[in-house]
Amino acid sequence: MDSMEFNGDPESPSTRDHVEAGDALRETESDTDDSFEMLCGGSDLEPEWLDDVQKNGELFYLELSEGEEEAAMVHSSVTQGLSTNHVRFSDKEAEIITDGSKNKERYKREPRLKKLVKILRKKRPSQRRMDTPQALRPASILKNQAGQRAGLVVQQQQLKEVFVYLNPKRLGWRSPSPERGGLLQALLGVVHRPSWGRGEAQGRREERLTVHGLLPNSPAIRGGQVLIGDVLVAIDDVDVTSENIERVLSCIPGPTQVKLTLETASPGEGLEPEPPSGRPSPPVSQLVKLLWGEDLVELQMSISHIPHIVMYLSLKLDSESAKDEQEILYQFPTTQASTQLKGVRGVFLTLCDMLGSVTGGRIVSSSLLLSQHLVHVGYWKEGERLLVVGLPADRWADHVTCTPDCNFLSVHRAFSEEEHCPRLDCFFSLFFQRLIDSPGAPTPDAAGALFLDGLPAVRWLTLPPEVKVRFTNGGVQIALAAFLFLSSDFGEMVSVHPALGWSGGEGYLLASHLPKEDLLDVALYCQHFGLLPLASEQRIGQLVIWREVFPHRLSQSAASGVEQGYSEPQGRRFLLIVGVRHFMQCVLLEAGGCAAPALGSPGPDCVYVDQVKATLLQLEGLQTALEERLAAPPAPCLSCADWFLPAGRERQDGPVGSPVFGKLVGSIRASSPAGRRGLFGDSAPSLRARRPSPQRSLSDSGSDGPPDGAPFLGLSPHSTPDSTRKLTGRRDSLGSGGSDGSSGSGGLFKKHPNPFYLGTLKRSLSERDAEAAYSTMKLSSGTENTLFHYVCMETVQGIFIAPTHREVAQLSGSIHPQLIRNFHRCCLSIRAAFQQSLTSWQAQLQGTDGHQGPRGLGPVKEHGVLFQCKPENWNEQKKPAPTMTYWVIGRMHLEPVPQEFYVCFHDSVTELPVEMAFRLSFGLAL
Amino acid sequence: MLQAGAVQLLCLTASSGVPLFCRGASKQLPFSVIGSLNGVHMFAGGQGVQLFNCDTDRGGRVLWKVFHDSVMLIAVTGQRSDACGNLQLRRLLDNVWNCMVLVLGLEELTNVRNVERLKRELRSCYQLIDTFLDIGKDWMGDLTHCVECLLPAQPAVLQDTLNAFAQAAESDFGCLLVHGKMVVATDKWWRLAPQEVVLLAALVRTLGGSACCDCPIFLPQGSPTVPHRLLRFQLLPGVNVCMLCGPTPTLQSVEGELVVRFWRPLVDMLHGCQALHQRCFPGSVGLHRDVLALLLINRESSRAVSSVHPAPSAPGAPSPIRRWELLRLLFTFATTRYFSQTEAPQKGEQLPPPEEFAPGFSDQPQQCYLVTDECKFFALQTPQHQLYILTAVSVPTFALRPLATRTLSTLTDSTGF
Repeated sequence: MDSMEFNGDPESPSTRDHVEAGDALRETESDTDDSFEMLCGGSDLEPEWLDDVQKNGELFYLELSEGEEEAAMVHSSVTQGLSTNHVRFSDKEAEIITDGSKNKERYKREPRLKKLVKILRKKRPSQRRMDTPQALRPASILKNQAGQRAGLVVQQQQLKEVFVYLNPKRLGWRSPSPERGGLLQALLGVVHRPSWGRGEAQGRREERLTVHGLLPNSPAIRGGQVLIGDVLVAIDDVDVTSENIERVLSCIPGPTQVKLTLETASPGEGLEPEPPSGRPSPPVSQLVKLLWGEDLVELQMSISHIPHIVMYLSLKLDSESAKDEQEILYQFPTTQASTQLKGVRGVFLTLCDMLGSVTGGRIVSSSLLLSQHLVHVGYWKEGERLLVVGLPADRWADHVTCTPDCNFLSVHRAFSEEEHCPRLDCFFSLFFQRLIDSPGAPTPDAAGALFLDGLPAVRWLTLPPEVKVRFTNGGVQIALAAFLFLSSDFGEMVSVHPALGWSGGEGYLLASHLPKEDLLDVALYCQHFGLLPLASEQRIGQLVIWREVFPHRLSQSAASGVEQGYSEPQGRRFLLIVGVRHFMQCVLLEAGGCAAPALGSPGPDCVYVDQVKATLLQLEGLQTALEERLAAPPAPCLSCADWFLPAGRERQDGPVGSPVFGKLVGSIRASSPAGRRGLFGDSAPSLRARRPSPQRSLSDSGSDGPPDGAPFLGLSPHSTPDSTRKLTGRRDSLGSGGSDGSSGSGGLFKKHPNPFYLGTLKRSLSERDAEAAYSTMKLSSGTENTLFHYVCMETVQGIFIAPTHREVAQLSGSIHPQLIRNFHRCCLSIRAAFQQSLTSWQAQLQGTDGHQGPRGLGPVKEHGVLFQCKPENWNEQKKPAPTMTYWVIGRMHLEPVPQEFYVCFHDSVTELPVEMAFRLSFGLAL
Repeated sequence: MLQAGAVQLLCLTASSGVPLFCRGASKQLPFSVIGSLNGVHMFAGGQGVQLFNCDTDRGGRVLWKVFHDSVMLIAVTGQRSDACGNLQLRRLLDNVWNCMVLVLGLEELTNVRNVERLKRELRSCYQLIDTFLDIGKDWMGDLTHCVECLLPAQPAVLQDTLNAFAQAAESDFGCLLVHGKMVVATDKWWRLAPQEVVLLAALVRTLGGSACCDCPIFLPQGSPTVPHRLLRFQLLPGVNVCMLCGPTPTLQSVEGELVVRFWRPLVDMLHGCQALHQRCFPGSVGLHRDVLALLLINRESSRAVSSVHPAPSAPGAPSPIRRWELLRLLFTFATTRYFSQTEAPQKGEQLPPPEEFAPGFSDQPQQCYLVTDECKFFALQTPQHQLYILTAVSVPTFALRPLATRTLSTLTDSTGF
């Protein structure tokens, strides 16, 4: 099986180190192996992931889809030569290599993972440094060494400096024995074979440190600059030889960056940056980044100039043992900028201590200026400990501190147990990466990501009822099946928690039985490890994840300790995530409580995995239904912002139509060739294709167009008072908007040349019926559809709905993405206003100090902002850029169920957001 | 612990941390707390980190600011002081620093030789500083940094009289104030920095009831080291005419000869202005009765008109004090989030931290509204004006925008503001 083995491979201890290290500490070797044999003894087939289960029962198994693998093969054939410098030598293999004849074989034996990862890494041209491509013969990797052995005089000995990141803490308790290469091998990953005979003959123990091999996934190999055959001359300008190397390395106290000085025979080689490959590839998902330990460090380096830090500090200081930095229980990372933040930890401690007594509140945040970066610092105090998170202000997010809770029982437990250290490193590396992403260009939709991720909800895809029922049943089926099965045969081990399951397809939640808190925790986990994009990109062939989790809900109730009638059974929870192609199912299992307590660290049981997998395979059948749903035109209908921009061009004769009737035009013009660019695209707009629309009517509420689709001039008798300020230009009709879209997303639009074309519905219906259907799916009032975007969140179930990515992509347009970015940005602001007023309101309810009268603005129910947008790159000096104004409105309901609702629509229609909100929430039947 | 809603202002020397004064909340913070609040900032500064502010979960805040490397001001608020946002506190610290410069001059504050003497001298600022701490009863120039104006029915006559009066007194700077609100001023007076004008108006308020006075002042931006004389003459209760001048003329000469000659004929008109001081614009301008409060800012000239009595209001509406509070909150809300102001930092000052949301919008926000249980708010911005209105809950949300645009056009058309 072509599997990505991360944990089970005994040959790559360092890999495990990075991914799930600390597990090694758990000595509680369970008898899961036995149980596996029991379970699987009957069947001939052993699950392929079985070998990867770790000693503590946790599993992270990922297998790529066929398409991905093929791509991998193609790439590998091309890039094998390129990557010769990155071939991993393990201890044994280094010996084989010297033979030279077995090279080919070795390549074949090279684990698939490495190939794959190489390929994945190739996709990021900027980060990698490659050798010259002509080195296709495998032997070339050894040429330095070979040259030396043949006694050739190395022409040019040059010194080069390589910076590597070392973390002695990762070694943990394992003290490297000298015969295993000592620290040089364990810490740095450099294999050096002391030549005993020669050394003694010369009477000196001192010997130059020639690099004979490199350990896979070690600091030395990561940069790709340490080559076999190089001689290690100095570390941080301290000359090293075989005699003092161990001493020098053991002096490195903590994670740090060191400078290696190497004498190399091949100057320049390996330093030539590879020209960017022609075809831009999708960025490698975080999961893969995470699993490939090297990136962890690399990424960290790439954001090292941005100050960010996580520290876990102890407030109680033992004054007697005044050891340096003893109050720091955990910190990450250790870059230059964060060292500065670490330096002022006293400030954080003092503030935390003092503010409680001064203002009578718990400190939550502070801001400071550090080397031109405005940094926000968040605090989370728990008992005598303080968690401090520092982030650049523009990346600040509020949901920071709740995250670790999900994976560990409590913040305290997460940080206090030493064994979690590497895992936390990993966690925070990903965490910061997610937030501080993209050092150069700003992320296209950072605000959107912040907003949508910050919502305490999961993206939900509305489905036709019959499909939905089948999905829902799927979840129940496994629940029942697994439960029955277990209770009869293996009841002593793990029982299924009654509520379970959610399937994510293309990043949408399809069905869920989990309580909201658990659902959010699970979603957070998936989000954090980037599992959802992985599923949507169809990279997964098979994914099995098993780990013990400590959901928020339980730890909270445990902390409060209040018994309220029914209390959740105390027990251990296990999260099982199984993914097949683009479906993923997460199941929360419970041991203890009503089931027998689990002992030790149980591994995943084939039964569950098979059950879940079976369900998923069943669901595969529904994929067409899903596809249909995704391909269907958006309901409620959406408009593209570009259609509303006044064209500002010379008037042209031709049929005019409003967007509503544009579909007629669209269907007539369905055969219009694709390839036209938007008005503000790069190429010159083809004016011929554009159909001028009537003068924009300012108040569409009064105008009801003739139902037969005849051209009408939207001249409304009513007009809003500010009509004088508004640009009364013309704008593109929908017909041309549709053809814009067809250039954007080819195939889809071939079928439906017009977004207002009602797809499946439309086919069978007569014109008039379609008209009726259209108006029911339209949220905005008035004749034209003015809705651009919406997000509707329901907090009871913890889900939100928004137009699918595909729907947005269909609309294309040049202004529209910009508008959506701004929409998300504004939603952040609106939501902050809601939250702020809500907390102050709650404080008032609780406040018993007789403070009369409301303070602050009071609870905000509705908040709207009007924006004016202009095309981004308007390069005509003569005319002012056309403008378009639109509202972004948020509305919060507390009754009957807490809901938040955000819409974005064109300015022309006076909307009642309440009305829209109800129309949306009822129409979609959550 | 500070009381809920209380604000305390601490002033220390930046270099040595000696407390200079402490104003605000009734109960002073213990010395140890003051010391550690200062110490934290100093320690961070030593590490190359500049500490700005600190928030707690219940709305308590601490804000630090160092002025000219010599004076450190710290504002501390107790919990649930929602009315004191970060913007409010930042403005407070700036205003307090300007007050100190206005009274003592920059020289005195930056070259501290005798701390005890400075402490004594600072006592003369207390009254002025306290007007800024006692926020939001009937003005908001401290927050907007715009000159609050009163729009009289016949500004031309008053303007001519003032110009002639100032000329006769050999001064270019003169203004007529009614209850701290600017009615008319000479051109030169308008060229002073808006903060200075706000400050002078506040100073005139505190000078209170005497018929006239003559006090030396420093202009925080115009002339922080060279003092000028501020002459103030009370024409009617609450109605003052002010002048900035050099060594001449004497107070007596102006009072004896000029005041009566120029202002006596206008007494009726001044009475009219006095009657307007709550409404702030002439009665001929009719506004909708659902407009509970309004703030109109002219962005070009940094002038503002604000009123919580724009029209006879319906019963059941929030009290005037609450309206001021809400209007301030609305202003803070809208400016910090949407209508970012570009205010040049004063010399020798740290750059203010950018606001939370302002820089992020790719499109320009133009209007915004808020609906709460108590009121509805609408704010709009045009190239020349900003208008903030507070309306009754009974106004339908969709009618807010027409109401606001009509209010704006009514006000600007009839008064030329």
